[in-house]
Amino acid sequence: MELSTFSIGHEGREVFWNAEHFEPILFMLTFVAMAIFAYGVYRRWLMWTAIGKPEDRTDDRNERIKALLKNGLLQIKTWSDPYPGVMHGLIFFGFVVLFFGAAFDATEFHVAEPLGVPFLVGKFYLFFSFLMDLFGLAVLGGVLMALDRRYLTKPDRLGYKGEPDNRPDDAIVLLLIAGIIVTGFIIEALRISVTWQQTPWEVWSFVGWTLAKAFTGVSPEAAKAMHKWAWWIHTAFALGFIAYIPYSRLMHIITTPANYFMATRKPIGQLEPIKDFENAESFGVGTIEEFTWKQIFDSDACTRCGRCQDGCPAYLTGKPLSPKKLVQDLKNYWLEKAPGAVASRKEQLIASGEGAANINPKLKALFAWLDKADRIVDENLPKGPEPTEKAMVGEVVELDELWACTNCMYCMENCSAAIEHVPKIIGMRQFKVLMEADFAPELQLTYRNMENNSNPWGIGAHLRADWGKELGVKTLAEDPNVEYLFYVGCAGSFDDRGKKVSVALAKILQTAGVSFGILGTEESCCGDSAMRGGNEYLYQTMAQANIEVMNGYGVKKIICTCPHGYNALKKDYPHFGGNFEVYHHTEIIAELIEKGKIKIKIPVDDVRFTYHDSCFLGRYNQLYDQPRRIIKAIPGARLVEMDRNHEKSFCCGAGGARMWMEEHGDRINDARAKQAIDVGAKTIAVGCPFCLTMMSDGLKFHGKEEEIVALDLAEIVWKGMGLEEEKAPVEVCQA
Amino acid sequence: MNIVACVKQVPDTEAQIKVKGDGSGIEEGGIKWVMNPYDEFGVEESLKLKEKFGGEVTIVSVGPARTMETIRTALAMGADKGVQIDDPALYNADAYATAEALAAAIKGVSYDIIFCGQRAIDDDSAQVGSILAEILGIPQVTFATKLEIDGTAVKATRPIEGAAVVVATSLPCVITATKGLNEPRYASLPGIMKAKKKPVDIKKAADLGVTGASKSKVAKFTPPPARPPGKILCADDTPEGKAAELAKLLREEAKVI
Ligand SMILES: Cc1cc2nc3c(=O)[nH]c(=O)nc-3n(C[C@H](O)[C@H](O)[C@H](O)COP(=O)(O)OP(=O)(O)OC[C@H]3O[C@@H](n4cnc5c(N)ncnc54)[C@H](O)[C@@H]3O)c2cc1C
Ligand code: SF4
Ligand code: SF4
Repeated sequence: MELSTFSIGHEGREVFWNAEHFEPILFMLTFVAMAIFAYGVYRRWLMWTAIGKPEDRTDDRNERIKALLKNGLLQIKTWSDPYPGVMHGLIFFGFVVLFFGAAFDATEFHVAEPLGVPFLVGKFYLFFSFLMDLFGLAVLGGVLMALDRRYLTKPDRLGYKGEPDNRPDDAIVLLLIAGIIVTGFIIEALRISVTWQQTPWEVWSFVGWTLAKAFTGVSPEAAKAMHKWAWWIHTAFALGFIAYIPYSRLMHIITTPANYFMATRKPIGQLEPIKDFENAESFGVGTIEEFTWKQIFDSDACTRCGRCQDGCPAYLTGKPLSPKKLVQDLKNYWLEKAPGAVASRKEQLIASGEGAANINPKLKALFAWLDKADRIVDENLPKGPEPTEKAMVGEVVELDELWACTNCMYCMENCSAAIEHVPKIIGMRQFKVLMEADFAPELQLTYRNMENNSNPWGIGAHLRADWGKELGVKTLAEDPNVEYLFYVGCAGSFDDRGKKVSVALAKILQTAGVSFGILGTEESCCGDSAMRGGNEYLYQTMAQANIEVMNGYGVKKIICTCPHGYNALKKDYPHFGGNFEVYHHTEIIAELIEKGKIKIKIPVDDVRFTYHDSCFLGRYNQLYDQPRRIIKAIPGARLVEMDRNHEKSFCCGAGGARMWMEEHGDRINDARAKQAIDVGAKTIAVGCPFCLTMMSDGLKFHGKEEEIVALDLAEIVWKGMGLEEEKAPVEVCQA
Repeated sequence: MNIVACVKQVPDTEAQIKVKGDGSGIEEGGIKWVMNPYDEFGVEESLKLKEKFGGEVTIVSVGPARTMETIRTALAMGADKGVQIDDPALYNADAYATAEALAAAIKGVSYDIIFCGQRAIDDDSAQVGSILAEILGIPQVTFATKLEIDGTAVKATRPIEGAAVVVATSLPCVITATKGLNEPRYASLPGIMKAKKKPVDIKKAADLGVTGASKSKVAKFTPPPARPPGKILCADDTPEGKAAELAKLLREEAKVI
């Protein structure tokens, strides 16, 4: 509509003001930009689909769409970290609003006005103008925050080991976004500087209105000329942005939400078992082709935000592993390998006649045309890096990185792009262990111990039930008619501290009148260390042995004191026919306290307790609350949280078979113990025998073992109930 | 280079050993059987030589049916084939009868070098390797911690009190392996799967032309006496008093000084 048709009470603006004849050119340019964009996505698509084994990630579609909306549209995950959350939110939501604004403009001009039903008028127009300027400012604010963060504040997580990892497109993208907004405001200001007398309502376009003052004194003709220039620059930036998406980090606009849609729907940390050992040719992931396409796609969704690195216990204690770097290294390796794979896949399709045969002739023509385009582009563009002959496992991902992971799940839980790091790490470990049998000698010993005595320590299997001899704990062989099986696990059976926890729990259960039994020497190791250390074969042997015995006794409910066994029995045993209701002892104890079946009588004198979240309870199983409820039930106890708690808790260093391996350099458990010391804790409560060992050792390292104790929650309750009988290990001289 | 490695199946070091009521042997129920740990060094060294010089590694073992599992373990590590000598006549064989059966079986395969463990951890005799070499009439080096082979020249290092000696001999020979010779490998999964299909010959004593007769016989097994409980010296609380009491008890009760 003409400028003259608007008035107070009928506010509005002339779309394409001063750019009346630009429209066809704009159309053409938009088409070109879209074509460049589409072609870029197409090329990437070929790369996504060229390498990797098949995997279905489209089941459970409603949940997938929910995840997409939650984290793609509402950005829930990004919010979990305030500064970057706000920063990204400003840019993202600003852009979404501006995008819709542009769409409104276009609809108004091409549809509503010709139909005689303009809607961008009056109050709505004013509101619209205000909103556009507001969100334009928001985007600028976000860009400034990002620039500050990347180039001034420079948090370590945007780099690696103190070295920044900034790439040209990081800057280009931010400047491009800033450019779009700034030129947008300039166009607006120039327009207002010419028309403001006729359009006093433009004060609602408050940024343009304010900026227009800068152009006072510029003649309307000059302003109009400048406006034309600014308009073209703005258009070039905006279309450039669209075209640039698939060729830059902006690609995450597509890949990251897509990755949310395709994120695993399995229980957290559940691993796909290797099936059919007898007939498989290879095990684990030794080459990039052995990853699934989704595992490769993951790396293209990574935004290098560094959240994963920020809480990775291995990285933070100086190990070479960084989950971000691992994903990026795999991505770069894929980028080197993909063009070759695309070429050979095309040849394969042509040779097999597949792909062409079933295709609609029009599409066929399109593909032929695209192929031609590919060839021209490939021949004329500067060549990418030569595909390396590097081995993926050992060179792209170094063995020190591969084996440093504690499987703590921090990276996966906190990743802003739903990337699944841990299964990749385990896949590569499987390759080293099962295919090459090339891994740390300490771990080889652990596996032999598990093979020969069904426990990682290698203590005689016949001693498994000795901890409970004096307590009258019955085995299922003696009495199978019990409600719960107490699956004691290896630490609870063989480790001195662990045995104390088993005794404590058994006494608590006996006092509460819970009916339970153990498997005694029929129990096997749960196999978690084997599974997470890549020895799936050994793990399945252990799992099957346990399941056979448990099913033999008709076991239904199981209590575990070790979160590793708890997690394996609960999530991974169902793969092999072991379907049980599995509880962690902190769940049982918390319930017994709440139901009044047991009572913590002995008060503590304002003792500061801190609770160390075990990864396999917390991040793997969301058991954050029960352990804390137990502490709160201790009269006089004060619960203080360490800085890193709940989802952001810091691993003790024992998971992922790391318990059995040498740790070089700074130790994770020492770092975690320090965090507990720093909050002034006097008791570190844990719910895991490995954490117990790790925290106790950490306290010793800091010379604090006299002042601070690490105790399992079962021990704490057992003491609080007055059940602990101090039994001297040896006879003492009577005075 | 063709290589023979002799392996014995023994109870796991952590296994609980119970002597049969009549003292004729040990209760076998519930025992986890493993490859004698010193034999693992022999198997590993065989595989290393094979990797270096080519040829075949044959595993030879005397023992009952369960021994097959141990032979398969060695095959999973990478050995090529096995010979199991399973004959009731040999179930309680002494070192001589065992060595004789091994020698007879080994004569049937081509070999350049034979590995044994320095001793078996069950009966601890440390004799089979030596007797085997004697029967075959070839040189032996026991307790090898390092082995170098150049053509037919053999240089083996063995530890002696506070030092090491290097023994030179030539192929064919028997080497008994001990800790330090190498780090035995962990079997790969394809190795384990392939091992199931590798050939193992099962032989009787008669097939080898031996009787299995032992030269010695174990008269009786007895378990070690149970460890008596500890004692706390309480008579006098001074260090001197405790020392005097300890000396007295060591002399009069324990009769060790
Ligand atoms: C851990 C271990 C456990 C063993 N267990 C058993 C077992 O249970 N049963 C068994 O029968 N054997 C056993 N043996 C083997 C046995 O001890 C030896 O095979 C035997 O002693 C001969 O060993 P040798 O050749 O090393 O003799 P050497 O150590 O050389 O000498 C052994 C003895 O032979 C005599 N001798 C050697 N040279 C001369 C000389 N020049 N002049 C005069 N006399 C000489 C001496 O009496 C000397 O003490 C065991 C060996 C070891 C290492
Ligand atoms: S699981 Fe934990 S240790 Fe492993 S890479 Fe992720 S954050 Fe690091
Ligand atoms: S893996 Fe996830 S958390 Fe880590 S840098 Fe990439 S997107 Fe960020």
